[in-house]
Amino acid sequence: MPTSFTLSDVTAEQVIDALVAAGFEVDSPLKVTRTVLDTFDGRLHEAGQQLALVEGRARELVLLGEPGTPPAHLGWVGDPPRLEGDLPPGPFGARVRRAIEERALLPVFEVAATVHEARRRDRRGKPVVSATVYEDISSATAGEAALPALVVEVVEAAGHERDDERTVARLARLEGHQHDGGFVETVAHAAGCSLEGHSRTPTVPLSAADDALDAFRAVLRNLLTTMLDNLPGTIADVDPEFLHDFRVAIRRTRSVVKEGKRVLPTDVREKFAAGFADLGGATGPARDLDVYVLGWADTLALIDVEVSTETAPVLAALEARRHSAHVAMCQVLESATTRQLLTDWQGWLEGVDGVSPHPGAVGPEVAKRIASAQETLLTHGRLITEESPPESLHDLRKDAKKLRYLLECFGSLLAPKARGAFVSQLKDLQDNLGEHQDREVQLSELRQLAHDLHEETRVDADMLLSVGRLIDALDRRRRQVREEFAERFAGYDTKKNRRALRALLAPIARP
Amino acid sequence: MRAIATYSIKGGVGKTTTAVNLAYEASRGGARVLVWDLDPQGAATYLLRVRPKVRGGSRRLVSKQGELEGHIRGSDLSAVNVVPSDFSLRHLDLHLEATKRPESRLSSLLDPVADDYDLAVLDCPPSISLASESVFGAADALLVPVVPATLAGRTLTQLADFLDDQVEGPQVLPVLSMVDRRRKLHRELADDLAKEWPELLETSVPSAAVVERMGVERAPVGRFAPRTAAAAAYRELWQELVGHLWPPDEP
Repeated sequence: MPTSFTLSDVTAEQVIDALVAAGFEVDSPLKVTRTVLDTFDGRLHEAGQQLALVEGRARELVLLGEPGTPPAHLGWVGDPPRLEGDLPPGPFGARVRRAIEERALLPVFEVAATVHEARRRDRRGKPVVSATVYEDISSATAGEAALPALVVEVVEAAGHERDDERTVARLARLEGHQHDGGFVETVAHAAGCSLEGHSRTPTVPLSAADDALDAFRAVLRNLLTTMLDNLPGTIADVDPEFLHDFRVAIRRTRSVVKEGKRVLPTDVREKFAAGFADLGGATGPARDLDVYVLGWADTLALIDVEVSTETAPVLAALEARRHSAHVAMCQVLESATTRQLLTDWQGWLEGVDGVSPHPGAVGPEVAKRIASAQETLLTHGRLITEESPPESLHDLRKDAKKLRYLLECFGSLLAPKARGAFVSQLKDLQDNLGEHQDREVQLSELRQLAHDLHEETRVDADMLLSVGRLIDALDRRRRQVREEFAERFAGYDTKKNRRALRALLAPIARP
Repeated sequence: MRAIATYSIKGGVGKTTTAVNLAYEASRGGARVLVWDLDPQGAATYLLRVRPKVRGGSRRLVSKQGELEGHIRGSDLSAVNVVPSDFSLRHLDLHLEATKRPESRLSSLLDPVADDYDLAVLDCPPSISLASESVFGAADALLVPVVPATLAGRTLTQLADFLDDQVEGPQVLPVLSMVDRRRKLHRELADDLAKEWPELLETSVPSAAVVERMGVERAPVGRFAPRTAAAAAYRELWQELVGHLWPPDEP
């Protein structure tokens, strides 16, 4: 694990002299820029990795893993990688791809410095410990923040911890501040920049005895932050997850507003419920087409067909529709109406206006709402038979989401382990309902697309046949999922599960 | 982590030079590499400038209490670490025999460090023994250097016959080593091997004085002679192995 020192009372020359006296060889100074890349939500950081484009003696990507593991280096030419497809085959690309999935890599922190690399070798000529001295440190990301004047980073070779300890002890005598972690973490910390990425959690810290109106406001403020964080990336179409997270925050907001009928002032609920319903509706088609395009290879796998020239025009047509849907969505997102909605909502959430129709503590209120959402889900689910129309499953999916959102947004009130176990049961049901709905949407889109393509004279018969096979395969899968529903629902609607939810809610029902 | 073993029943075919050069090229290609020197001669250990010492000897290393992590040493190459060899490895067969499941012992020693490395390169001594079987249990692929000689095909057949009896053996990837394209016999034998062994890798490593210099430089060829044909061949070999070990649809 690297150890770093920030030093303010000595110069780089003095540190280098000390290192030379300790038997280190020191390279000539070099200007190095290091740009840390991660997804908006910090997936690499979460996976214990740090990816940086380093420009100095060479231009390379450096991927740091868990402390004690060697860094991976990959020579790099051209723009920094953005999407998983920009990464080459092989272990480096595979590690990054596994962590980021469909998200784009963005520059999250940039730091430049004059660097003196030093190392001490053993009698075989092998480096056993390296010390890197950084001076003239600057960071475009850090803005006006004060940065350390001098940082020394010490890293030992595997199996040579004692050499590292001796170097660390020598540097400690220079009376600097010692930090666990490397140069980047040390500078980012000093600059007040986070490398963790934007949080996606809907859960905010709450206590059962908190005032219900305050608690609902806190939950809704957190959801608004998520919306505002993801809005620019949604408009710029950086990656599909921005729109996904934006939409989920809208849906959660709508759900919490609706469930807050005894807590939030009626006029506020009515005004904003309508506004967010419109916003949700305006973003739906673009997201449906995102899912379709992203899942295209999986869809083709249903008919054992690879992404090929035969089906490429269908994908191209879907991508064109996706693009149009995004353009239409952006017109709404950039409109004065949306700006006003978000500004007004922020104003109300951050203000103190409004009186709760039924003042009280949040615990009992949330317990009631969750119990009621569960009751609705069970009642509606039990009414579904093999003859029920697809809409009934779609409605049940909404019921399940409502319950899930309450469990997530007010999750800090509940025992984490028991909540996780219950949510896992609920998720199993939701997976079935979600796939059924996705297939319904895909079938409808593909049928419409087949008609449209047929009207275009350039479309060949093979392609239409492929579309026909796809429609058949999707419909088969939809029916299969539909048949599985009864079993999934029965697995959820058990005495044990119902009891588990009651036990989960009991501690907050009467705080 | 993927594991490859540079392996051959024959000696002097370029196993260690292939292991060390491949480790270097893999590290330049973005991999974190662990070289495990299983040859008591310790040539890979020497070339990578690591002290030839297995703390507690190979008996302790493969025993029930043994673990690999404490034996790992940094090397002269930034992303390449080494489990060094020493002379105690000459008894590896005996020490493995004393364990409960010798054929999977090397694999179980590698498991705990699997997340820390992308590639393990096992440099094996020339033999077919219990240690070899343990290597076959640990490796995803055997990289078998083959010199263009009349009995080369026979050596490969012996190995393939042996592996046919294994339920889940590693893939065998023969690679031509020490090839002198100026010699007609080498060209003919290389062509014959390619016909007989479709698995033969396209890359062939040339016979070159620069490879012999590795012992003097104590470094891989790409480090001290990057523009030579031999260095280019090892780079190509790594690229070819990427296609085998990390197919595009299997991240």
